[in-house]
Amino acid sequence: MTTRKFSINRQTLSRLPGYLILNFWVVFTAVLIGWILIASLSTTREIFTNTLLESGVHFSNYVQALITHNVGRYFMNSLFYTVTAGVGIIVIAAPCAYVLARFPFPGNRLIQNMFVGSLGVPQIMIILPLFYLSSLLRLTNSRGLLVLLYVCLNVPFTVFFLMSFFSTLSTSFEEAAAMDGCSPVRTFWTIMFPLAQPGIITVGIFNFIVLWNEFFIALIFANTSDLRPLAVGLYTMVQSMRYIGDWAGMFSAVVIVFVPTFLLYIFLSEKIIAGVTGGAIKE
Amino acid sequence: MKRNRTMMITFLTPALFSFGLVFIYPILRTLAMSFFYVRTVTDGWGKWEFVALANYQKLFASSMFIQSLKNILNIWLWGGLVVFAVALIFSILLTSGFKGKSFYRAAIYLPNVVSAVAMATMWIQYAFNSKYGLFHTLFSFLGMERLASFQWTSPDNQFLAMTLAYCFGMVGYYVLIFMAGIEKIPVDYYEAATLEGANLLKKFIHITLPLLRGVLRSSVVMWSVTSIGFFIWSMMFSPLDPDVGTITPMVYMYNLVFGRNLTPTDPQLLNAGAGAAVGVLLTGLTVIIFAMVNLLIRDRKLQY
Repeated sequence: MTTRKFSINRQTLSRLPGYLILNFWVVFTAVLIGWILIASLSTTREIFTNTLLESGVHFSNYVQALITHNVGRYFMNSLFYTVTAGVGIIVIAAPCAYVLARFPFPGNRLIQNMFVGSLGVPQIMIILPLFYLSSLLRLTNSRGLLVLLYVCLNVPFTVFFLMSFFSTLSTSFEEAAAMDGCSPVRTFWTIMFPLAQPGIITVGIFNFIVLWNEFFIALIFANTSDLRPLAVGLYTMVQSMRYIGDWAGMFSAVVIVFVPTFLLYIFLSEKIIAGVTGGAIKE
Repeated sequence: MKRNRTMMITFLTPALFSFGLVFIYPILRTLAMSFFYVRTVTDGWGKWEFVALANYQKLFASSMFIQSLKNILNIWLWGGLVVFAVALIFSILLTSGFKGKSFYRAAIYLPNVVSAVAMATMWIQYAFNSKYGLFHTLFSFLGMERLASFQWTSPDNQFLAMTLAYCFGMVGYYVLIFMAGIEKIPVDYYEAATLEGANLLKKFIHITLPLLRGVLRSSVVMWSVTSIGFFIWSMMFSPLDPDVGTITPMVYMYNLVFGRNLTPTDPQLLNAGAGAAVGVLLTGLTVIIFAMVNLLIRDRKLQY
């Protein structure tokens, strides 16, 4: 009994530094985010004098941010871009992943390699011609352009991710459907697509977070106050802070930017983590 | 079979068309553009002026561009060493029967789901602030006056501050990847080693590290790709003018082509061709790193 107790103590002791560092890390993150939350409810004066919440809770900062600083509009823009592009990506990527995963044909491997290779292409290698093309077609500064770009740019990763889900499904589904005279296209949408749902939901959530936080493409293609998504909106707001001087409003805007992905993460962290590791580690 | 072929064509076409539109066509055009003088991005073929390698020569003669390369090299090397070391330590701790593993993993990964603009704002406007900031308050409380008065966002220190804040968030991503890799290694190996009397360090060097090769290799590639595309944090740390201390090639190119804030150090006016050359150089760098990593970290097919 005594030896056992000793061994437990020794193990706990050897892990103590680890516990300390990990806890310090987590507490630091919590303080960082917690302080922003509290600051977003204080006045700018209180923030600068380190007397947060002294005059009570000011929800008016959020009203100020949403209306005066245009954050409400940016939020709606972000929501529109993220949801429409998110759906568009799946509609284009899922059928392609299905064909690549299940039908051997000459060039199949080449297409797969091209898609994977494109994940390493720096964005600045492709941005200039895209800007040229969109100005040629008079598409600059429109919501549709940004959605189109988001869809096209994220198809390769999504195809790559979904392929493993389609390759594990049994071929007996298609054989049975073909026997019943169901067309291959219908077989896909009514039978195979629903079967790959776990993968589609995972990659859908993952894409949502990526698109919600996207900055570079939006900075170049949607940089007018009507079209800006949240990330670019917050950037321009921070940039002009020295003229506006509404720090409380700015911290409210920070909270508005991170709350949607934060909530999604709280509820779905297991799925999101599975998505990240599934995309990075392939056999 | 014939019906399958029609299905395959209709299913592949949209994806392949979009791929050609946003990857193949732009890559080829950027490559061509880098050999021409192009005043603005929107100029068509007709207005291009062939200059051979002049764009590249101009880039390497620009101290600002050289500095931007040095900056991403420093982020890649020093940031990479720190991030990989910390992430390895964390993931080994968390996979060794740690209580609350999922919670810690989720908490450490959190900065990765939050917009980088929001994260950077938190760091710059709060953590690093010299009046009410977290570090200032903490170090004053501990009586460390010199650390408390450290000017994080001054031009001399902002590269350090930027790298620190960036790496803090990135650790979580690699913890996730490493943990998934470690959890695939069969427990028997560790048990056998423990029976033979191997300590934690020995187990790490002789079991974990060799079996984590494939994971480490793709992580190095991933880290290189994100370092090369370093943009948001740099824009946030020097929001008004690109600054020598924080400039990266992508920020340099952004200013060169979409030039809202051209700096006096680069009197050269708008030149989209040089911007394209930056893109070509960075793509070349990516390819070289990829080849080198594949050469240095061989991936033998492992069977557990």
